[in-house]
Amino acid sequence: MSGRVLVVDDEVEMQRALRTGLGYHDFDVRAVGSGEAAIREAAGWRPDVILLDLGLPGMDGLAALRALRPHTRAAVIVVSVMPGERDKVQALDAGADDYVVKPFGTEELVARIRAVLRRQADVTAGEPVIRSGELEIDLARRHVAVGGRTVRLTPTEYELLRYLALHAGKPVSHTTLLRQVWGDYAVGDKYNTRYVVAQIRKKLGDDPANPSYVVNEPGVGYRLRTD
Amino acid sequence: MTTRRLAPYAIAITGAIAITGAIWLVNDIGSVSGLSAFYILFVLWLGARWGRGPAVVGSVAAFLLYDFYFVPPVGTFTVRGPAELLELVVLLAVALVTSQLAASWRRAQASAEAIASDSRALYELATAMLRTQEAAAALTMVCDSALRMRGVERFAVVAISSGQAPLVAGSILAEDELNQARWSYERGQQVGLSVKDGTLVPMKMHGPGSGVGYFPLVGGVAVLKLGEPRPEASDLRMLAALIGLADLLLDRRRASVEAERARGLQASDSLKAAILSSLSHELKSPIAALRAGLTALTTPRAGLQEEHRELLTDMDRQAARLDRMVGELLALSRLEAGVDLTREPHSFADVVGGTLGQLRAEVKDRKVVLHVSDDLPLVDVDEMQVGRLIFNLVENAVEWAPADGAIEIGARAMDGSLEAWVENDGPAIPPTDLENVFDTFWTRRTAGTGLGLAICKRVVEAHGGTIRAENRRRGPRFTFTLPFAAVPAAGGAQGAQTKG
Repeated sequence: MSGRVLVVDDEVEMQRALRTGLGYHDFDVRAVGSGEAAIREAAGWRPDVILLDLGLPGMDGLAALRALRPHTRAAVIVVSVMPGERDKVQALDAGADDYVVKPFGTEELVARIRAVLRRQADVTAGEPVIRSGELEIDLARRHVAVGGRTVRLTPTEYELLRYLALHAGKPVSHTTLLRQVWGDYAVGDKYNTRYVVAQIRKKLGDDPANPSYVVNEPGVGYRLRTD
Repeated sequence: MTTRRLAPYAIAITGAIAITGAIWLVNDIGSVSGLSAFYILFVLWLGARWGRGPAVVGSVAAFLLYDFYFVPPVGTFTVRGPAELLELVVLLAVALVTSQLAASWRRAQASAEAIASDSRALYELATAMLRTQEAAAALTMVCDSALRMRGVERFAVVAISSGQAPLVAGSILAEDELNQARWSYERGQQVGLSVKDGTLVPMKMHGPGSGVGYFPLVGGVAVLKLGEPRPEASDLRMLAALIGLADLLLDRRRASVEAERARGLQASDSLKAAILSSLSHELKSPIAALRAGLTALTTPRAGLQEEHRELLTDMDRQAARLDRMVGELLALSRLEAGVDLTREPHSFADVVGGTLGQLRAEVKDRKVVLHVSDDLPLVDVDEMQVGRLIFNLVENAVEWAPADGAIEIGARAMDGSLEAWVENDGPAIPPTDLENVFDTFWTRRTAGTGLGLAICKRVVEAHGGTIRAENRRRGPRFTFTLPFAAVPAAGGAQGAQTKG
């Protein structure tokens, strides 16, 4: 699988390293150094994946992401040297698909790029049944099963699992889950999502310390495993 | 001096003569009985105004003049009959009683005036002190007022604060006096004087350096030497009040020093956080470019020879190690700068699961045994910090456990807190080192940073827990405690089940 990758990073060394490294993995790579240039390239060149550094000079990465999102269907992977959880959550809520903490190795980055491209393909295919290991979520029939055995979920539990399934493999923040499942008034009460996820895990027979399906993304939210 | 002292007596005698003359003139016009009462009035006035001596002299003079001019036989000093004698006694008694009364009244007035002037002086001093920002200058004002008093030979206040040279206001002190002051302060022991019922009580002293008294205060000592003439009672009260003022001043000084120190710390904390934040960016960006560049070339498609690829892989491993060290140093600095924890109720199992997810690559080929029940009560922790704690302990276990050995992670509910552990099958820690493993920069490996376990200890202690290392039969175990969340889960996981 190959694709077009737009690298947005103000460091020339980083641009050159990624052009070379991703090029060896059959990606078509272009690199720009600012948010404004990224918006131009996104519209003109139509990349499949945008690697967006959050610490850009001038228009910062988060502002660039908010400006980009309405104009591109590209998957956005946010890159940052500051592993602050708030930055990750803000980026995810602004429409990022994943985040990678600098420094990273090329192999790790390639794996993340492939994962978001695969997810994108699944979503466009409009697959009605989402699978994660033994878990099957049939969105059309609102039916959930583990290893063929039907699991009965409450409407809230189903909504939460459905939202994770629709974004399978992508970390979803607590705030997004709260807004999607309970509506705007619930935002701020992370405890709700933790409680519901605990109930879902119990019904799925999932061990939180070693989860097969719903994975905790520390400080951020939850993710439905696809690997 | 002598003239002034004799003047009242002259007045007494002259007055008695004048009254006699006046009565004589009135008698000339027509006899009026009871005119001798004027003498009594005069003696009353003498007693009240001038005291006993002039009053007695005046009453004797009045009696003699009256007897000579008006008592028959006129022109002689004869005393005939008890009536005349009684007259003399009455005059003398009036003189004595009134002068006595007047004297005690004058004394009361004098002491009231002294108190009024003392409090006026204290009030003025206190207001001046409040206007003086510098505590040292205010202390000097107190000492100066004390030194202006009669009978005060020396007066000094020594301000003592830890880590600073003592500050002396007032009289200059000798070295041994300073030492004595410090001793008195440290013991809280009065030497040579005490303050009782608002007045200073000097005590008899013997031996060398005697005569100097030491009185410990909140942040220092008052040093005092009385001289001749001995101070009066009012002066001793004033001295006690001045020592009280010095006490207040030292307290104020200490409070302002503490406030200043707190301000300084706060400023340096936010400065530290800002520096750390920009430092982590500055240090990690070059490492990021290094790793991206090195790993770009290690893929076979780059077409490098095997030995060159290995060389690049080694270099990338070193760059990754550098990244780790920078990360740990920054994490430790943040913890030491006193970052605020974001504490929320968390399921410990959930935190373990999230952290193991981050360590996927490291534990992929390892046997990880979990004894962490989901039914444990929630813990009140900062998820990221506790995640780092588990991360470091598991990473340490991966490092030490043999390739086919097991890593065990367990947790159980204890009284009021969660006790969790991470154990591996690796070699035992030498018993002498069990205490040191959490020290900063202590490491068993030549390539270790010595920061991983130090971070663990800081994280646990920031949560009010404890951490210890011990050798179990299978291998080293690290055990730590975390506080339970106060609010129980809403109908959720509550059974304090233990497992493992």
